[in-house]
Amino acid sequence: MERSDGVGRAQRPDRLRLQHQKWRQFNYLLKEIKTLRLIYTTTAAWRKNIAASGPEKYTEAFIKKQIEEFDLGKRHLANMMGEDPETFTQEDIDRAIAYLFPSGLFDKRARPMMKHPTEIFPEQRKIQWGEDGRPFHFLFYTGKQSYYSLMHETYEKLLNVQKHQDQLAAQGISPQKEKKNLVGSRWVTKTELEGMLLEKLSDDDYSRFIRLLEKLMTLPCSDIEENYIKKFSKEIAVQLQKVSVEPLKYDEQGVAFSTGEGVRKTSRATAVVYGSGTGKITVNGIDVLHYFPVLQDREQLLFPFQFLDRIGKHDTTCTVSGGGRSSQAGAIRLATAKALRSFVTEKEVEFMRQAGLLTVDPRVRERKKPGQEGARRKFTWKKR
Amino acid sequence: MLRSVKGFICRPLKLDRGFALHTAAKDCFSSVVSQDVQIPAEKPRAIFYTSESDPARHSEQHEGHHYSIPLEEVKAVLPHGLPHRFQQQIKTFKEACIMVRKPALELFTYLKNSNFAHPVVRYVIYGERGTGKTMTLCHVVHFCARQGWLVLHIPDAHLWVKNCKELMQSSYNKERLDQPLQASFWLRNFRTTNESFLKEIKTQQKYVWSKRDSTEQGRPLGEVVEQGLTRVKNASDVVGVVLKEIKQQCCLGSFRVLVAVDGVNALWGRTTLKKEDKSPVSPEELTLVYNLRKMMMNNWNGGAVVTTLSQTGSLFKPSSAHLPHELLGKEGFDALDPFVPILVPNYTEREFESCYRYYLHCRWLQHDKARTEDGKEELRFLSGRNPWQLERLAAPL
Repeated sequence: MERSDGVGRAQRPDRLRLQHQKWRQFNYLLKEIKTLRLIYTTTAAWRKNIAASGPEKYTEAFIKKQIEEFDLGKRHLANMMGEDPETFTQEDIDRAIAYLFPSGLFDKRARPMMKHPTEIFPEQRKIQWGEDGRPFHFLFYTGKQSYYSLMHETYEKLLNVQKHQDQLAAQGISPQKEKKNLVGSRWVTKTELEGMLLEKLSDDDYSRFIRLLEKLMTLPCSDIEENYIKKFSKEIAVQLQKVSVEPLKYDEQGVAFSTGEGVRKTSRATAVVYGSGTGKITVNGIDVLHYFPVLQDREQLLFPFQFLDRIGKHDTTCTVSGGGRSSQAGAIRLATAKALRSFVTEKEVEFMRQAGLLTVDPRVRERKKPGQEGARRKFTWKKR
Repeated sequence: MLRSVKGFICRPLKLDRGFALHTAAKDCFSSVVSQDVQIPAEKPRAIFYTSESDPARHSEQHEGHHYSIPLEEVKAVLPHGLPHRFQQQIKTFKEACIMVRKPALELFTYLKNSNFAHPVVRYVIYGERGTGKTMTLCHVVHFCARQGWLVLHIPDAHLWVKNCKELMQSSYNKERLDQPLQASFWLRNFRTTNESFLKEIKTQQKYVWSKRDSTEQGRPLGEVVEQGLTRVKNASDVVGVVLKEIKQQCCLGSFRVLVAVDGVNALWGRTTLKKEDKSPVSPEELTLVYNLRKMMMNNWNGGAVVTTLSQTGSLFKPSSAHLPHELLGKEGFDALDPFVPILVPNYTEREFESCYRYYLHCRWLQHDKARTEDGKEELRFLSGRNPWQLERLAAPL
């Protein structure tokens, strides 16, 4: 596009030059994106352990170059969008790319993206030998260099601890071991360890390593190597989430009430349960007998009250939309159960939870698949 | 409560009014033997039961109580008026117990205090589905029968405007259509209910049915009815004649007439019947409906017209419609206007309690849980205190 004609170049006005500059940047970015699309996918998108998936593909220098190019491209993009290059974050990049290259593709992973090379290039082991072909690591020819080096390291720590123990024993101080609470933590899983070491492990290797770690843990003076052990232990998230029960609200007349929401399939319901009442239920302004003429639906509505022995004690007003009659009934049931939590002791809330009154029913309509008549039903099989 | 218990124990020695309630008789005799032991056992029954079998003497104190009608009386007075499920219940329990409710008591006061010199007052019983409109009507019919009125009870006017297999062109009026089957069926039941009156009322003009049949003036009405039953072709005209005669003669004041129509909104609605050329039939073109409409007008005196609106059998009406305006339509409303509307609501707490105790007493609720308080609460919730729902719920228990 550039004319080598020196005369014309000097005469080109500034405005055009700026435009041309912008166009060049744009083209450069386009090239980047194109190449990105050709080769790059994020590690997350691959979803398999690429750490040991084969021989190394990228040299360290290559990765470094990619990072440089990425940073440059980021600055160009910021300029293009008219924003400050210094404070241009990854989210801004994503937004800018989505704006410049709008895509109607359904799969998010297929759309154009511009991410840091460390996210795009899978974290693989860089090439392990030098230009003369001599490997860097002394355990290279074992095949599992990282694993064996890790085992050596851990054993070294173990010996360290034992030496320390002996020293203390020699001094006459008996080592005090506090019982460490191991309940909230777990060891790294095999997959996580493979990710850390960037090479494949066998089950046997993994179990050996864990046994070694446990042995290290049981020693009295292992507190010195606590930092090292912490690298391989993870906290388990608290299983039971304490769902806080809302307190009762009071309306103008001083009547206590409480609201709850429920969903089932495509129905959404909200229920307001009043503390004093005769057991009347109104749905969308219509009496329950008229809205749910079928007995089964009314039984569903009865269940939370019957479970808590509070059948004639609460008045309920509900609004519900979507779904059919059965799913609306289920949604209202969940909503009333949630609302009743505020009126009831914690133990009874636990009973309700165990009875399944407070759980959202996850069943939804299964998708019809092509080549089949329905979700599961196949077409009639004809022998010939 | 105590008063009725005392009355209950004192009565068995009188054995009056053909009180054929077999369980009551058993209790009577056992109570004579050991009064002290039986008194606490009778109390539960007294909560929902009253031994007052004459509706004329029912009042607010009997509200919520069941009273029983002897089975022979049921056959004589209400051969065709009771709802089907109630008839099955009578067969099962071997007794016919109707609950005394407020709308019926209201009607009784009106009827007792009505001035029969004035044009007839029309009462329209309306309410949601299954609240007891037909039962109230039957209660009123029983009351009037006991009082000695002539009862013209049309059990369901909807039967006359739908599902008619035989439609004939009327011999009397070319434009109208006859329904011989329905007419003869009704005449048969009419004969059963009003045996005594058929002999007393005399025709006031001559009626010629065909070349060979005719009825002279001054013959008892019974003959006309027989004519209609034997010659089924003329049954609809016979019905018209009967209605005309009764209307004319009750103005004289010798007897009172109660016109009880269930499902009166059928008279002014649409029909599902079609003529031979597939054109729809409007209600005026049916002889039976035409004559009955004349009866519903308030240009006569000496009686009362009690009607019920019914959505269940109605044609082309949405299921949510239960108000007079919706079910009668403009035509019907204008024809019946002015009328006294009587709303029949669902059971009150007391009535529900009474009905539940009655079912328990008859051992209808066999399920163990049904006998507990929780079971009662559950029934109350699920039925919404609607009598029809409650009955259907209690049936499989």
